[in-house]
Amino acid sequence: MRIRLESPTLSFVLRRLIQTIPAVLAIASLNFLLIHIAPGDAAELLAGLGGHATLEYIEQLRREFGLDQPLYTQYLLYLKRLLTFDLGTSFLQKIPVIDLIVVRLPATLLLMTSALLLAIGLGVGLGVVAATRYRTWIDNVVSIAGLIIYATPQFWLGLMLIVLFSIKLDLLPTGGMMQIGAEKRGLLLALDVLWHLVLPALTLGLFYLAVYTRLMRASMLEVFSADFITAARAKGLSEWVVAWRHAARNALLPVLTLAGVQIGHLLGGSILIETVFGWPGLGRLVLDALMQRDVNLLLGILFLSSVLVILANLLVDLLYGVLDPRIVHR
Amino acid sequence: MLPRLKYLPAFIVIMAAALLATPASAREPKRGGTLTYTYHPEPTALSTIATTAVPVALVATKVFESLLEYEGPGLIPRPGLAESWTVSSDHVTYTFSLRKGVKWHDGKPFTSEDVKFSIENVVKPYHSRGRVYFGNLESVTAPDPHTVVFKLKAPVPYFLKAFQASEAPILPKHLLATTDLANIRQARLMHEPVGTGPFRLKEWNRGSHIILERNPDYWKPGRPYLDRVILRVIPDGAARAIALEKGELDLAPMTALPPAEIKRVGALPHLATSTDGSEGLGPIMWLEVNIREKPLSDVRVRQAISLALDRQKLVDVIWLGLGKPATGPVVSGNPIHYDKRLRPFEYNLEKANKLLDEAGYARGPRGVRFKLAATFLPYGEAWVRMAEFTKHEVGKIGIEIDTQSFDLSGWLKKIYTDWNYHFTSNFIHNYADPSIGIQRAFVSSNILKGASFTNSMGYVNRRIDEIFAKATVLEDGPARNQLFFEAQQILREELPVIFLMEMAYAHVWNKRVHGLITNGVSMYSNWDSVWVE
Amino acid sequence: MKTLWVFWRRFTRNRAAAGAAVVLVAVLAIAGFGRLLYRTDPFEMVGQPFQPPFGAFALGTDVAGRDILAGIIHGAGVSLFIAVVATLCATLTGVTLGALAGYYGGLLDDVLMRSTEFFLTIPSFLLAVVLVAIFSPSVLTITFAIAVVSWPSVARLARGEFIAHRDRDYVNACRAIGTPEWRIILVHILPNALPPIIVVASLMVATSILTESGLSFLGLGDPNVVSWGYMIGVARSVLRVAWWMAAIPGFMILVTVLAINLVGEGLNDALNPRLRGR
Repeated sequence: MRIRLESPTLSFVLRRLIQTIPAVLAIASLNFLLIHIAPGDAAELLAGLGGHATLEYIEQLRREFGLDQPLYTQYLLYLKRLLTFDLGTSFLQKIPVIDLIVVRLPATLLLMTSALLLAIGLGVGLGVVAATRYRTWIDNVVSIAGLIIYATPQFWLGLMLIVLFSIKLDLLPTGGMMQIGAEKRGLLLALDVLWHLVLPALTLGLFYLAVYTRLMRASMLEVFSADFITAARAKGLSEWVVAWRHAARNALLPVLTLAGVQIGHLLGGSILIETVFGWPGLGRLVLDALMQRDVNLLLGILFLSSVLVILANLLVDLLYGVLDPRIVHR
Repeated sequence: MLPRLKYLPAFIVIMAAALLATPASAREPKRGGTLTYTYHPEPTALSTIATTAVPVALVATKVFESLLEYEGPGLIPRPGLAESWTVSSDHVTYTFSLRKGVKWHDGKPFTSEDVKFSIENVVKPYHSRGRVYFGNLESVTAPDPHTVVFKLKAPVPYFLKAFQASEAPILPKHLLATTDLANIRQARLMHEPVGTGPFRLKEWNRGSHIILERNPDYWKPGRPYLDRVILRVIPDGAARAIALEKGELDLAPMTALPPAEIKRVGALPHLATSTDGSEGLGPIMWLEVNIREKPLSDVRVRQAISLALDRQKLVDVIWLGLGKPATGPVVSGNPIHYDKRLRPFEYNLEKANKLLDEAGYARGPRGVRFKLAATFLPYGEAWVRMAEFTKHEVGKIGIEIDTQSFDLSGWLKKIYTDWNYHFTSNFIHNYADPSIGIQRAFVSSNILKGASFTNSMGYVNRRIDEIFAKATVLEDGPARNQLFFEAQQILREELPVIFLMEMAYAHVWNKRVHGLITNGVSMYSNWDSVWVE
Repeated sequence: MKTLWVFWRRFTRNRAAAGAAVVLVAVLAIAGFGRLLYRTDPFEMVGQPFQPPFGAFALGTDVAGRDILAGIIHGAGVSLFIAVVATLCATLTGVTLGALAGYYGGLLDDVLMRSTEFFLTIPSFLLAVVLVAIFSPSVLTITFAIAVVSWPSVARLARGEFIAHRDRDYVNACRAIGTPEWRIILVHILPNALPPIIVVASLMVATSILTESGLSFLGLGDPNVVSWGYMIGVARSVLRVAWWMAAIPGFMILVTVLAINLVGEGLNDALNPRLRGR
């Protein structure tokens, strides 16, 4: 099917959107599969292994999911409900799963975005510095620090940072997104949240910071040997300008590519970080779902997170389209 | 100038001394302010009819009231919703004169019909201790809107202790008249409470907080002092301690903090700790055993498990001294009914192994005799540690334990509705009298599906039933004590539950809060005279 | 034999890798033989809780009075066992599927590519959490979950290698003389494709340790064993009172993972000398 539109960008976007459909379908199918291959009764599984569901609720689930009907019908029913974003209801909270997730999503997005910006921003910067100071002590320090951070379990790092900055030095809060019971508004609230964001974002971002620094450095070193750099140097431009204005821009692409690929990884990491810092986002919701044995909620989160990752990848692709027009017109 | 300055330090010292010498009690209660407390886990409902679990009772007692209030560690009855009362000379007729002008939170007037309905139709059949208090109730009549008459079949010596807000809450008849009472525990009123208490529900944001606000039409003039009471839900024990330390919370009642944190945090200058104020509760902790299931139906197996558990270690290591080993169902703090001759439970692995061999459960190839599924009360990290301890210790005598965890509603359903468990850690309150606190756990008439903290074990012992039936109607004295002593002996031998320890409730609060410790059930009182600076 | 010697020379030229290998061997020794020498049960209540290290107990006691050193020793065994087994499974699966897809191409290749893409879209840690939660936490289910989320990257790598090699001269020569397909794949191409796979697999052991400790930290560990992640999870609630309880097991994870990473890089340098010089 050819989409003939005026704007090549729009057709590119639409094309990519359509390409995501099989992926979403696949994830939905995985969820469906998991519900049915898990041990035990599917309805009871969905009602929550916590065992607190009433008989009425389990019966309701049987009806909603059509669990008495042939597998094929169930599958279609499931897909139909997903289309309307009906992910079921969480028994304990008596709220639809989708509502629970939507309420918690902004906090996680805030955390992930800050961590990513930190990681990319500082990572790029440090990578350039390391590359320009190749083989000097700065380069070595950055490399070694990166290696150590890369090997550190993120949740443990968070705990250690809490010990240092919150407990021993009493500089930063130990957890939460804002001060309990303070009920601030507007700017004060924003500042409060920002204050609480420092440690979690730092913890989450450090890992990727190490990765991107390394990658940027390697990328820069490769770019340095390119022709146009030699030309720039021959023109008499200072090292500073050569490094930042010319080399960095080109070396950036692999880092952005990697960042896009790692968004799913970032979401996984936020589960641990949010647990450590009591950050009220999706990650914490996963923990709540685990404690309540609410499988339905877990699967709902899995589905939605995957959709989020797909959308994020789509965004990255679009960004590429902007940076590299050749891709759009292909 | 200089000579006068010389006297300045002395002057300051004298002024400071004068100020400090002013006793704290001379300070006037301040009206206004918010008390924020925390407890884990989050309540599953807001009325003790649904369940009498601690998290629920803590909130419900601020919103609902009963006919009486109580003073002091001995719980001396004082007027509550009832202004006055008379008891007939044969102790079977209790006439209560109700207060006039009391309103429900929705504005409707409170009358004797509400009392009759609540006690007869709700508390007696559905409250976990309803039968204990009102089992001998012959009739409840409401001759006029402000009088209620209770007629008993036989005198019940502790009858006046029944009218606590957590035990016999008065509910609004006009909101329950159309409810199918068989499902009262799922009724709307359980989550959207309407009571007569000093506080009413403003907001329940599940997973986050509950806000109670002052009832402007509360019948006590000038009360409550507080504008609001807030429960903050904080699942993490260390986070609760930190919040209290930083002043984000004011109170962590009834061992809401992990024992290690209580020690640390209680020592801080701006916080106060106390184990007072719960004398009327007497929590006793045990392993509740489903004796319907083999091999737990064999008393030797239960005795063997008991022999494998070092209670002193439990108290010292897991609870850091907040309690003492139990010797039976009655807490040693009970001055009248506790049998002082009782010795602590023995810890003897050899004996335990022998008993299990005798019972016919020989060790298999891996040294395992049989497997059991264990669960635990989901009230925090100490209970998780205790489950690990139990699993490990019992493993030494060849019993392999599979520990499962549940949230509070799941746990309540599993133990009290489904009876689907092998054993679980649990604690109940002794209350002031074994007839109240202990009877409900061990008499066969209290094997009630759906009612929490009842005889979930399925324990039937005719002699125990007899003893408690008699003790209910006897006045305190040597005869009654003899009965209770016998009961303690029987329960120690039969071990329908494996008694572990007497808990000590530690409350930790910010010193800016006053008036918390009022009587033997302080945290279960309605906090109308609590004030904050 | 000569290639092994050459490999050894190249590997030890990287000092960091050599040092890391020593550390790794030490950790493996602890994991394998530690519990024979130090016989304390990590679940046993050996004394008063909260005892700091360098006292009656070398590394102190935890919240429930258990020996932290015993926990470290047992945890090493658990973490390494799960990580190695999971990696082995993932590698076997990934290499098999990737080899077949890369060699034969066509529909098989398409299906594999779509599947791996799909797996790479789902947040892998979240998927592991869901899998373990549904199937109840145990050493078996954790290993399975980690293998499930790890095989796609191995598969892709193997596929890439096999695509690169399938039209090489030596392969065409084999075909010309009538060597059966399975022999070509297994005996001729595979050994050449192996070096990068080995490197990736060794790094995968490291990430598996991190994943497993993350799962245990969240409470999804096998309740019958003590693992490093579990120890950190337990210590979390008493961070203020005893921060070392969390620090020690976490430090062990760091050291082990770092050692594996460095060894992996050393392997990379030794096996792919052309790519050195960066």
